[in-house]
Parts: sequence; structure tokens; C-alpha cells
Amino acid sequence: MHPLVRDLYKRLLTVGKEYPQGLDWVKSKAKPWIMQNAALTDEVDIKKKVAEGRFWVREMQSVIKLKKYRTLKKRYY
Amino acid sequence: MKVFVAVKRTLDYAVKVRVKADKSAVDLANVKMSMNPFCEIACEEAVRLKEKKVAKEVIAVTVGPKAAQETLRTALAMGADRGIHVVTDMRHDTELQPLAVAKVLQALGAKESPDMYILGKQSIDGDNNQTGQMLAGLMDAPIAAFASEVSVDGDKVHVTREIDGGLQKIDLGLPAVVTADLRLNEPRYATLPNIMKAKKKKIEEIKAEDLGLSLEPHVQYTSVEDPPVRQAGIKVESVDEVISKLKETGVL
Repeated sequence: MHPLVRDLYKRLLTVGKEYPQGLDWVKSKAKPWIMQNAALTDEVDIKKKVAEGRFWVREMQSVIKLKKYRTLKKRYY
Repeated sequence: MKVFVAVKRTLDYAVKVRVKADKSAVDLANVKMSMNPFCEIACEEAVRLKEKKVAKEVIAVTVGPKAAQETLRTALAMGADRGIHVVTDMRHDTELQPLAVAKVLQALGAKESPDMYILGKQSIDGDNNQTGQMLAGLMDAPIAAFASEVSVDGDKVHVTREIDGGLQKIDLGLPAVVTADLRLNEPRYATLPNIMKAKKKKIEEIKAEDLGLSLEPHVQYTSVEDPPVRQAGIKVESVDEVISKLKETGVL
């Protein structure tokens, strides 16, 4: 496995633990997506896909943040 | 400037809370734990002060069982420089009470002499909202509770507080205690590279007994109850029935 892809998968797992739909759901989406692109060999293509993956990691982080903020606002204000 | 951040390990905000069968406390076995959200906000504010080059060092402090070290690591991953862990076996939602924590923070503060203490306004398990206030009382220091904006200018701290029906702006001298409200900032997410870096940061472990303080609880919990369950509604067949039901309850 490409080291960047392994790093990306680890990032997905760390953020997936807190994702509202759970780690299993994140895995079930991330794994097929990675396997789909397993045939890529060109370094530039791989980097592009990894960048896309990192974008999704950031998106998931903001979903978690939003959920946390909303729950707390509902509970205390 | 040195900044102290107090963090607490609590039940995760998303977990459904169960009460123990004997109603003595909330069941903590096999439940996900994480950092108290308000402490996260406090930690983020301290890290931002560091990034603005106002604060030189950010020290994260926690009081709690061995496992609370994880929480401290999260704070370090967010950007705190080092951690102090005061180890005690007391249950952190009932037995370990605000006055005890405030005393511990005061004792540590006397050793490290920080210029600012940033705390979360309350924890989501005990919901006491007292620690910051008690700490300020013990130290005879100025306090700004429920801060929604903090800026430091020389040896003055300008804080905007959220109070009932508006905002209050106050200036504090140092050392000061600030407790974070929900809208102070958006805490950052600890990314994997930062989590790895945090593993190398130093955590000083101190036993609670070594501080020479009595941490006994002063408040006794008599019983912990679930909130009342919502009653199920009924389905009505016709418009007439709706009207008669509404008349029964006195709405119409």
C-alpha cells in the first residue's frame, strides 16, 4: 500500500470513531472507495485522490463539530 | 505569560446516560468517555492565545483517575505544551467536587505561578458550574465567568461576558480566572499527526495525597433519577374528536 494511502486510512479511522454514524459506517464507505482506486499507479493521480480523501476527513470533522455545538446549545440554552 | 487550562474527563456528549440500578450514580462502566466540551473550548482559547504570541506556555491540568491521562493527551494534541495529572481514584462526577478541584488548582498554581487560568464553565456530568468561581475565591483573584470573547493587552485581560439579557465587557488584572462559555470559539479537531506528536509531550503525574489537601466531598448525593418518560400521544379519528379533546384540556 502507498504510504500516503495508509496515512489517509488512519486519519479516516481516527475521525470515524467520533462520527455520528459510527466507525463501521465510515469503514464501509472508505474501504470500497480506496479499493476502487487501488489500480492507480501514477504518483500524481494517487496524490489527487489522497487530497480528495483528506477533504472528506475535514468534512467529517466539521460535521462532528456542528453536532457537538448543536447538542450543547439544545441542552444548555 | 503562562496559562493554566483545566480539563476534565467526562461521559461523551453523545452517549445515552444510564442510571445505576441502586440509583446512587450514573453508570460509568463500558461507556465512552471524552473531554468535556467546555474544557475543549477553554483549551482552544489557550492555544489561540499561544498562537497570537500572547501566551508563552500552555499547561493542561486534570484531576482524575489513571484513565484521565487520555483526556490530557487530547489537550496536548490540541496544542498545550505539557500536562499535569493529579491522580485520584475518586469518581469524577460525584465524589470529586468543585471545591476539591479548586483547591488542587490553587496548590498547583502556587507552584507554577501562571498568569491566567482558563476553565470550562461547567462539566457535562456534574453540571456544577462552580470550580472557576471557587478557584477565584480561594486565590482572591478577579474572575470572568461565561466569557464569549477574550483578548489580552499587556497586563490587562479584556473579557466579554455572556450575562442574562446581554453582554458585559470587563477588564481584569493578572492573574485572572476565565471560564469559557459555548460561544467563545470553535474548538479545533485533534488531527492524527498532532495526536502522534502529543504522545511525546511531557505529563507530570502527582498523587493527590502528596499535595496535602483534603479532597473529601462536602455534598452527599442521595439519589440519581432518570428524567420522567414522555407519555405517548393518542390518534384521533375525526375533527369533532379533535375539538372535544382540545376543549377537555381547556385550549379552546
